[in-house]
Amino acid sequence: MAFFDIKGLVTPFTALKQFGKAPHTVTFPYHKKETAQRYRGLHFNDLEVCIGCGNCSTICMNEAIDMVNLEQIEGKAGDSGLRPRVDNGRCCWCALCVEVCPTGSLNLTKDYIYVTPDADSFLWTPGVSNPEGKDNISFHSDVDTSLSMFDRVPMPELDGKERVKSFAETMLYYTEEAAREEASRCISCSLCTEVCPDHMHIPEYINAIAKGEDDDAIRIIYDNNPLGEMCGKVCTRRCEDVCALQVRGDAVAIRWLKEYAVGRAETAEMLKEIVNPDIQEPNGKKVGIVGAGPSGLTTAYYLALKGFDVTIYEANEYAGGMVMYGIPKYRLPMDSLNKQIDYMKSIGVKIKFNTKVGKDITFDEIYKEHDAVFVGIGFQKPYSIGIKGEDAQGAFPAVNLLFDVNSGKTPDMGNKVVVIGGGNVAIDGARVSRRLGAEVVIMYRRRVQDMPADWEEIEGAEHEGVEIMPQTIPVEIITDDNNKVKAIKYLKAEMVADDKGGRPRPVPIEGSETIMEVSSVIGAIGQEADYSFLPEEYRNSIEINRGRMVVNEQMQTANPKIFAGGDAVNRTADAISAIADGYRAVKAIEKFLMN
Amino acid sequence: MTENSLDKEQQIVNHLVGTFQNLTGKVKRNRRIEVSIEKKQITSVLNYVKDHLGFIHFSHMSCVDWLEDGYFELVYILWSPEQKIQLLVKALVDRENASVENADMIWRQLNTYQREIREMFGVNFIGMKGDKEFILEDWDNMPPMRRDFNTVDYIQEVYFERPGREDAQNVRETISKRTGEEIPEVATKYSRD
Repeated sequence: MAFFDIKGLVTPFTALKQFGKAPHTVTFPYHKKETAQRYRGLHFNDLEVCIGCGNCSTICMNEAIDMVNLEQIEGKAGDSGLRPRVDNGRCCWCALCVEVCPTGSLNLTKDYIYVTPDADSFLWTPGVSNPEGKDNISFHSDVDTSLSMFDRVPMPELDGKERVKSFAETMLYYTEEAAREEASRCISCSLCTEVCPDHMHIPEYINAIAKGEDDDAIRIIYDNNPLGEMCGKVCTRRCEDVCALQVRGDAVAIRWLKEYAVGRAETAEMLKEIVNPDIQEPNGKKVGIVGAGPSGLTTAYYLALKGFDVTIYEANEYAGGMVMYGIPKYRLPMDSLNKQIDYMKSIGVKIKFNTKVGKDITFDEIYKEHDAVFVGIGFQKPYSIGIKGEDAQGAFPAVNLLFDVNSGKTPDMGNKVVVIGGGNVAIDGARVSRRLGAEVVIMYRRRVQDMPADWEEIEGAEHEGVEIMPQTIPVEIITDDNNKVKAIKYLKAEMVADDKGGRPRPVPIEGSETIMEVSSVIGAIGQEADYSFLPEEYRNSIEINRGRMVVNEQMQTANPKIFAGGDAVNRTADAISAIADGYRAVKAIEKFLMN
Repeated sequence: MTENSLDKEQQIVNHLVGTFQNLTGKVKRNRRIEVSIEKKQITSVLNYVKDHLGFIHFSHMSCVDWLEDGYFELVYILWSPEQKIQLLVKALVDRENASVENADMIWRQLNTYQREIREMFGVNFIGMKGDKEFILEDWDNMPPMRRDFNTVDYIQEVYFERPGREDAQNVRETISKRTGEEIPEVATKYSRD
């Protein structure tokens, strides 16, 4: 090496060529580069939105997700109370769990660096282990791209103008193809089973339909509901309110799918062949049942299967109770109902028709002749509207109208009918009146959204040309000289917030009094039970509180031999609750008589 | 020039349809073309679009398992930097003994993608050089990206259950226990696992 190295001396000066150029700098303070927008980092779960359906856990091919109880989460209707916990040692960040999350509560965040000396902490609960993750979400599912199928297969139905011409069924129901498609949307989380009063095995029979095993679906339905087709047509279907898909889309059409399945068996004989129940040898015990409504029929069916000698006493010509006489035929045709009841008769249920207890036979006789009695009398007696002129000719309760029409009569309604009430019975009364050729107005005290009737029924009525007048309070029925309905006087109401935190109350607006000419007035503001058939001594032996019979959890009254169920017992007063009551009573009666 | 005019894309499709027999193609959207070819045409089509139509950039290659139809679908994704158009070349290959000509002489990078597809789907690329193993080590099972590969079975067999997960609950059981629902035997086979 030379002593004088010219290269070593000059090279540093080459840096001078950078002189005058814009400097390359980094911002201060230093900003970390953002991760990609859809980066799949550690999980975050919004614990409030999550319903614990477990779909994430099911889809995970690495079995990395467990559903666990958390201290701060309580299970309730529509929420299993469980939350996902991820084993990050197994997770491969495929994000399928996020894609199938029906509520969108589960997400992946931008966090991907996780260093800890404690290996066990890799087992972590999204949302609990990283509450701050909410502000750092990157990979999430949205309704358009999610793998969940949020749209319900549409139900074909008759056009409103066609419908009012006859009592033909308005719903045209699913074809096989449509039913399979709709059934395959179900994620089988079973949240629905909790709110079903009868706890039907919903995910199982829907899965059976999706797999093309309709016979198994019927068998599963008949495990605890002998009126599956009826429920398939008219159930209040609270199950659909808590469907996991309903959070961001349409609930699975649980009701229509049940109709599809049982509807595959077209006759009572086919039903018997498919259900092929195990009928036990007669055990010598006799059970009498008052009323062939859903609760009485259910009790009778399952008791008969267990070898009991069962007789139902029914006041009317046909079985079904309110389902037969209270539900219009365009919702539940008679053939369908009779098929289900004929099948029950074929396995040994005896029904004595036209036998009104208290008139054709005394309750005492039934009580003494049988080892146990089930009372399923329902709510038959309508409440009176409580306004002047109610006893006029042309003013009558909706249940009477429905009874007459369902018995084959065609009452003369005149050309303008006003229906008072906002429940399903009011809507039924209105739609039936439309079919009898009248113009129909529904008067309801509160707002449309407060109406207790099923929204599908309300829509159906509107499509058929029924006019709904909300916030309207009828005050008087005006009659002519022959005491015939001529007009109705009503007030408009405004909604006033309730101080006690209840729902808003309608308060009449002064001076809003109006008179509308009408030909008939139909009251539909509720019904109550009629206990006149029950002699004093029995009435005293069971407890009746505010019109309802008081029973224990086994549907047993204070008189151990008398069991009761249906509308006259439960608070929900719908067919599926009556069926649930009947099913519970079966177990209790069996225990009572066989132990 | 209008933004939405698809003339350029349509011209390329027409050109390709006119050049190759049994080639079908369509304009998917602005700047995206898709053509389907037979598997024996793969190298000739790739060479042609690279040399004559400006699709000089190879972006990606993937494979789709059409299990029910018995096919694998190979998808070559190309890009023309000049025209700013993406071209998807698709070819179906029989699932049984799936094999197709090697194309890595057209783009050297294809070698890596083909090796991955060979390992993950079991598609054989005739004449391709390169180590048999790509990501998997000592793999003697079915290629794992095939749809009939049962991941859950594999996971259960290979990985041990770590301690601390014993408290896992089943949603169906949790709910039926809460409601007292008794699920009959005919139903349980339809319950979710």
